[in-house]
Amino acid sequence: MKAVCWHDKLDVRVETVPDPAILNARDAIVRVTATAICGSDLHLYGGFVPGMMKGDILGHEFMGEVVEVGSAVTGLRRGDRVVVPFPIACGNCFFCQREMYSLCENSNPNAWMAEKLWGHSPCGIYGYSHLLGGYAGGQAEYVRVPFADVGPVKVPEGLSDEQVLFLSDILPTGWMAAENCGIVPGDTVAVWGCGPVGLLAIAAAQLLGAERVVAIDRFPERLRLAGLKLGAETVDYTEDDVLEALKDLTGGRGPDACIDAVGMEAHAHHSLAYAYDRVKQAMALESDRPIALREAIQACRSGGTVSVAGVYGGLIDKFPVGTVMNRSLTIKTGQTHVQRYLRPLLQRIEKGEIDPSFIVTHRMKLEEAPLAYAMFRRKQDGCVKVVLRP
Amino acid sequence: MRARRNLTRADRLGSIAGGIALLLWALRKPSWGRAAGAGVGGWLLYQAYTGDNPIFRPLGIRVNPQPAQAELAETLVVEEAITISRPRSEVYAFWRRPENLPGFAGCTVEVLREEQEETLAWRALREGRLLHFGSLALRDAPGRRGTMVAARLEYAPSGGSLGTALAHIMGRSPQRLVAENLRRGRQLLETGVVSTTEGQPAGGR
Repeated sequence: MKAVCWHDKLDVRVETVPDPAILNARDAIVRVTATAICGSDLHLYGGFVPGMMKGDILGHEFMGEVVEVGSAVTGLRRGDRVVVPFPIACGNCFFCQREMYSLCENSNPNAWMAEKLWGHSPCGIYGYSHLLGGYAGGQAEYVRVPFADVGPVKVPEGLSDEQVLFLSDILPTGWMAAENCGIVPGDTVAVWGCGPVGLLAIAAAQLLGAERVVAIDRFPERLRLAGLKLGAETVDYTEDDVLEALKDLTGGRGPDACIDAVGMEAHAHHSLAYAYDRVKQAMALESDRPIALREAIQACRSGGTVSVAGVYGGLIDKFPVGTVMNRSLTIKTGQTHVQRYLRPLLQRIEKGEIDPSFIVTHRMKLEEAPLAYAMFRRKQDGCVKVVLRP
Repeated sequence: MRARRNLTRADRLGSIAGGIALLLWALRKPSWGRAAGAGVGGWLLYQAYTGDNPIFRPLGIRVNPQPAQAELAETLVVEEAITISRPRSEVYAFWRRPENLPGFAGCTVEVLREEQEETLAWRALREGRLLHFGSLALRDAPGRRGTMVAARLEYAPSGGSLGTALAHIMGRSPQRLVAENLRRGRQLLETGVVSTTEGQPAGGR
């Protein structure tokens, strides 16, 4: 089969590799009909995530048709049309039983590596480094899905691939980011980053009852989607000072909740702090650039919540812990517990309350993945979201 | 509390030899550079005296100078624990099968002591030679959260603490061996399968 393989920093290739096989009784094989490139795939592409190996198959946002099931898989059969959540979760362990699927204790065969870096290991994730299991990903014609009786959700034929594909990651991720804000009527939520997760977090915050949502980015097409499509107020950080703008918009108090939908490769405009973090990251003195996170913490109203959906990998520097402590901030974060949100969000899609397909700007063939990655990384041609078709 | 040790006898002899060599080298032709060498030498002698080298501390290396099994003059100790969301009887039955016990490949296992559903102690021999001995202690996790398993393994040090430290850095430490055994047990008990990627496709490595 054809698969998108990571080779090195800024080097992904479409290669012919062996078809995946059932390795465990609870596995299934899915023929991929649509797969997307996630913003977090760009962290792998940019070489910011440790534990990648030449030849690793990428992709954790995918859907398709079940073509084979292992002997212990119940509730799923050949021919089912499914969306597969990116966290691999067993459904049996302490965390899965408490619906914290991305913390599954049993799905990461390389848990010892993650423990060295993070103290304890989270779940395994498709195509997301050997720290998280080294599972072959779904940017391929076929993919092996472990614990197939727990993860995949069947989707009705009436919905298009693009309407349901994002249940695999970014729609639940945006949703959990907003849910973590604990929104009550009257709340203002500010969202850093209007990429796919940021945009869906805006939509989720609105559905969860936010009075106002403020969107922060620098790319006009993204701010347009946030402003015109979703009706958020927008701040272009290359034009305005974000902290001042947010104070002005909120009567001086700051947003009740702040969502960081940016993560470890944040940018800043003509800022000394940005230069500082770029240099430290390049010299491997810190692994992540927490510019958006710092700003979200500074901006948040006292007693408010900072919800972190952006991906961080390791260590950061100059974390404003004094702000968090003295102003009673709550930080909520985590890899998304996708399985928890699949059915409720599928229902909202069916009812027409939310249609995440508006973020798709590019539809390409799987073979064009190297071009798609390069384009997405540079945000060329107004690229917000790429869907690849095998 | 017993004094902590993380150097084996071989390590301590090595430290003494190295320390004396450095001191002699410094005394033969004194200079500021060699004085620094003498400092290191003195430090090595001090480590040999205490049997506790701070460099090895973060790696969790522990030496037992008086192991319960007298065939071994001293042992390296590994302790790992895991919580499994299954009843104690099931967890006990799993590790009661010798092939499921943590250890090294190709050894014969002798059960030394068992207290139903609470303790299991064993020793492992290869060609009549004692390789390691260990024990599992099981108790109910609070709040009906399953079973807590504490494993302890003691084995003859080969390569001393330095060798163990190197193995640790290479990701092949006995700690990992025991931890992986416990993790495999949890996977089988909770999910019925062992999580793996062995045999999956990849592009050109």
